Amino acid sequence: MPPARDIMAHRGDDDEVCPVCKSSRYLNPDMRFLINPECYHKMCESCVDRIFSSGPANCPVAGCHKTLRKNRFRKQTFEDINVEREVDIRRRVMQILNRREEEFDSKRAYDDFLEQREEIIANLVHGTDVAKTESDLQRYAADNMRSIRANQALEAQEASSFREQQTHEQELARLRREAARLEYENERKEMLAGREDVLSRLAAGRPGDAAAIAREGHKVLLKKSSARRSEEDRIRQKQAALRNSDARKAGQGALTTADRADESGDSGLIKGLKKIKTPEPEKPYDPFGGLIPNKRDYYTLRDHYPNSYLDPIRQDTRMQAGGYDLQEYYSRTLMEAFAGLGCFIDEEVSKREVTSTMGISRPVATEGAALAAVSSAGAPEASS
Amino acid sequence: MKFFIDDLPVLFPYPRIYPEQYAYMCDLKKTLDAGGHCVLEMPSGTGKTVSLLSLIVAYQQHYPEHRKLIYCSRTMSEIEKALAELKALMKFRAKELGHTEDFRALGLTSRKNLCLHPSVKREKSGAVVDARCRSLTAGFVKEKKERGEDVELCVYHENLDLLEPHNLVPPGVFTLDDLLRYGEEHKQCPYFSARRMMPFCNVIIYSYHYLLDPKIAERVSRELSKDCIVVFDEAHNIDNVCIESLSIDITEDSLRKATRGANNLERKINEMKTSDAEKLQNEYSKLVEGLQAAEQAREEDQFISNPVLPDDLLKEAVPGNIRRAEHFVSFLKRFIEYLKTRMKVMHTISETPPSFLTHVKDLTYIERKPLRFCAERLTSLVRTLELINIEDYQPLQEVATFATLVATYEKGFLLILEPFESEAATVPNPVLHFTCLDAAIAIKPVFDRFSSVIITSGTLSPLEMYPKMLGFNAVMQESYSMTLARRSFLPMVVTRGSDQAQISSSFQIRNDPGVVRNYGNLVLEFSRITPDGVVVFFPSYLYMESIISMWQGMGILDSIWNYKLILVETPDAQESSLALETYRTACCNGRGALLLCVARGKVSEGIDFDHHYGRAVINIGVPFQYTESRILKARLEFLRENYRIRENDFLSFDAMRHAAQCLGRVLRGKDDYGVMVLADRRFQKKRNQLPKWINQAMLESETNLSTDMAAATAKNFLRTMAQPFKARDQEGISTWSLADIERHREKQKLEEERAQREVPQNLAYGGAAPAPHNGVRNGAGDADEFDDDIDNEDLMMLDAQ
Repeated sequence: MPPARDIMAHRGDDDEVCPVCKSSRYLNPDMRFLINPECYHKMCESCVDRIFSSGPANCPVAGCHKTLRKNRFRKQTFEDINVEREVDIRRRVMQILNRREEEFDSKRAYDDFLEQREEIIANLVHGTDVAKTESDLQRYAADNMRSIRANQALEAQEASSFREQQTHEQELARLRREAARLEYENERKEMLAGREDVLSRLAAGRPGDAAAIAREGHKVLLKKSSARRSEEDRIRQKQAALRNSDARKAGQGALTTADRADESGDSGLIKGLKKIKTPEPEKPYDPFGGLIPNKRDYYTLRDHYPNSYLDPIRQDTRMQAGGYDLQEYYSRTLMEAFAGLGCFIDEEVSKREVTSTMGISRPVATEGAALAAVSSAGAPEASS
Repeated sequence: MKFFIDDLPVLFPYPRIYPEQYAYMCDLKKTLDAGGHCVLEMPSGTGKTVSLLSLIVAYQQHYPEHRKLIYCSRTMSEIEKALAELKALMKFRAKELGHTEDFRALGLTSRKNLCLHPSVKREKSGAVVDARCRSLTAGFVKEKKERGEDVELCVYHENLDLLEPHNLVPPGVFTLDDLLRYGEEHKQCPYFSARRMMPFCNVIIYSYHYLLDPKIAERVSRELSKDCIVVFDEAHNIDNVCIESLSIDITEDSLRKATRGANNLERKINEMKTSDAEKLQNEYSKLVEGLQAAEQAREEDQFISNPVLPDDLLKEAVPGNIRRAEHFVSFLKRFIEYLKTRMKVMHTISETPPSFLTHVKDLTYIERKPLRFCAERLTSLVRTLELINIEDYQPLQEVATFATLVATYEKGFLLILEPFESEAATVPNPVLHFTCLDAAIAIKPVFDRFSSVIITSGTLSPLEMYPKMLGFNAVMQESYSMTLARRSFLPMVVTRGSDQAQISSSFQIRNDPGVVRNYGNLVLEFSRITPDGVVVFFPSYLYMESIISMWQGMGILDSIWNYKLILVETPDAQESSLALETYRTACCNGRGALLLCVARGKVSEGIDFDHHYGRAVINIGVPFQYTESRILKARLEFLRENYRIRENDFLSFDAMRHAAQCLGRVLRGKDDYGVMVLADRRFQKKRNQLPKWINQAMLESETNLSTDMAAATAKNFLRTMAQPFKARDQEGISTWSLADIERHREKQKLEEERAQREVPQNLAYGGAAPAPHNGVRNGAGDADEFDDDIDNEDLMMLDAQ
């Protein structure tokens, strides 16, 4: 870059004279202007050094009695000082009121929130109701500390993933460009080589087949170029596929949002927030799906039933030693006695007829499927 | 004459028809029947417009659907020509049919050309006319008047409201002059008559922009139905039109003006707050409800409409942070300040819209969504404030448009910030180019919406490039050759000077004195042997300037001066038109003149050098684009990655279409003749990229000439051309009467039968032959076949089409 351009880099500071020390750019070509977000008065770097090196001091601009510190001085970003100030205020407010669209019940509520935030910023900028707005803000910040933190983290994460994606894309674009350049070069080289080849063959061959050699060389070139084209296409397709999969991956990355915890639905200042629902704690796993294994519907199993035939067995050690258990017998007999009490044959038969006609109308369903349907339809009744 | 194409009776307003016109009509009809898009290349000066119009009008009138025709052309003069052509056609139809058809055709152009208001029409700039017209015709002005306030209204516009809304002008064809005259007679506004009558017209003729530029298209062309037939004539540059309609350049100056505009808006809002707060409140509540305020106001009043294409428009409520007027203004100010900050950067930057948006957000906390609504919100605000002097807000509107576009499209656009005008400049003059890279974006809605889109021009080669670039499928791609009774134009490629040294405008040797002298000698030779006018095209202004000054030093200009007057095109339009006028005078009075112009300039695009205005055209160098431009580089990369068009292919295609345009300037009809010289070594290989009609006429022996050989050939050619040529010699060869058409059809039928009987083979008849994609028509063969059946008919006027 020529030196002239460096000098021109300072254009934009329209008044080239420092309002404090009145030195001008003409005398001091690398003069830089700084501002302090306390009062936004502009002064040159040497003034800042001179006045504020020995600690905080009052702003040298007449009528401004703000106390300034040197470390807060910085370069001005925007030309318009009002905008600079507004952006500073906005930065602060946005850091606190950083609700996201998905936290609201409706679009309308979100829009209302946006307007409210804008209102707060405008109040702070124009100096209306500053005290109240400030206190509101502070209260909100204190109340919603966790959600603010969470949203900030989320935002930072999104920004970084976007940046990553961006660099990734740039890298890919660079590679593609490189590939295209190589392709052209190869093509050129091949063409030149082909031409040379033809020439050397012409030089070596007999005068009779000159035309044939030339034609052949031309054909080879054509064939090569068409082969290369198809190859190129293949590579491109591969690249495109790669690109797509990358994009998909990146999209998935962005989707995984950190789950956010919030203590209360209503944050005081902002209305229309979604009520946060905490999911119920998961119940322990029930292998029987609500069925209690030893429950009997029609009877209770007792330890002993008086019976003249069975009573002697209770005493007989031969029986006991073999492992025979009367309890087992009781339970089986009772089960058999009450089995089928909840089944109603007529109903089942009629139902079966219905399903079997359905089975006919639907040729796809096999007989077995129909039977299975019947048995599954009958099962809940049997258990009840 | 009247003839049939399949079952369709076509009335053609001339007694003779060219074979290529007939073929063109046949293909056109096939496309319309099939319902799809097509690309047709027809040699310049062979009556493309009249064949197009007569076929489509016949189609409209014969079939019950009465599909509407939208005919788009590029310049005012072409629109005028088409209207006049249509008028003659309808007159002929009325005479032939014996009754006047119920038919309405109107042309639409800007307010500036159609205004009748005594003081407004005297304004010079189109923007001022627009603004003043709005201030006299806007809906709120009328409301004010009704409330009894003292405001001025346009009488011509007011009178329109007294008429029936669907019958503002009687049926018939109105050229722009007719419309003005009719408006003056009936004291009604021609512009608004035309706009409001558009839904009731059979044929609409207007400029590309009314269909392609989303800012205008949404307003003007919204009601057109789906089955309209859309024709883009002279469409060889359509991709650039598409791209320009979505590109924006922002300079520091425009930002300054935009800031002023924003401050004005703020003041107006404060005024309104004290005087008429209710109105602002109304607007606000409307926006809260998410109503589209645009629906309610009369669309003609719109100040700017959304630059986003209809399918991307989101029907949502305006986001909350720009709902209030004052918030919106502060939002705009912030955005403008941000842009100003960006402008201070001292190195070139190119970035994609997403990365731009992230940066905006980091620095100013402006999010994407409100940016997207910028244009719409500004429209609504301007309407609420009832601003009259709208031209002051032009730069602000530009910024809003930019904001909306940048937030809407992620792909196919690029932001390029160039702090310096050229490499050597030290004083920064930053420009922020927001460039559209994808021509398909702007034209996509047109292809999606209308079932038949016809793209046609004199130079569209290679045809397959256009469907690729514009993203559509063509059911028909055709290129027609020119049937000629004699060889009336002589295309040549000159690769060497008289000293056998190669000539080229390639970068390495373009300033080589030897090359420059050879070019000078070439021009000198041709100005010596050519009668009347000679036109020379250079690749760029810069090169032209340097070469002219070198010629001056070599004394070449002095020698040319003996034979021809020398005139030069400049970037300034007025100076150029003066030069052109002088050129024409010199050609008419026999002095003869040499016009030096630029292949991408104004002369190469719209101005015809028919007959003695141009007997020779010389293309010095291949008119490549300036490849170091970042915008072009970005576009090339985009084309490579998305459409698989290689950089070199595109550059060469672009250069050759401009070269062909230049060559086409000189031949404007079949009775015209001229020499076409392509003076560059590199043209020899690019010959195939010329339009078919030029390429076919070029003999193999004339593709590698030196200056003296070329001059000898041209001399011979010009001597042949000077022989008397009777119009009747053309009959049956390059002009057909009804009988010839009949014969052609008979023959075609026979061939078809034969083809069915035998092995299907590619027939030489592009027209309605069974293999229409193979449009190779052998012009010479044609001539032989018809040589012996010249009818004994009256002598035709030489100039009759």
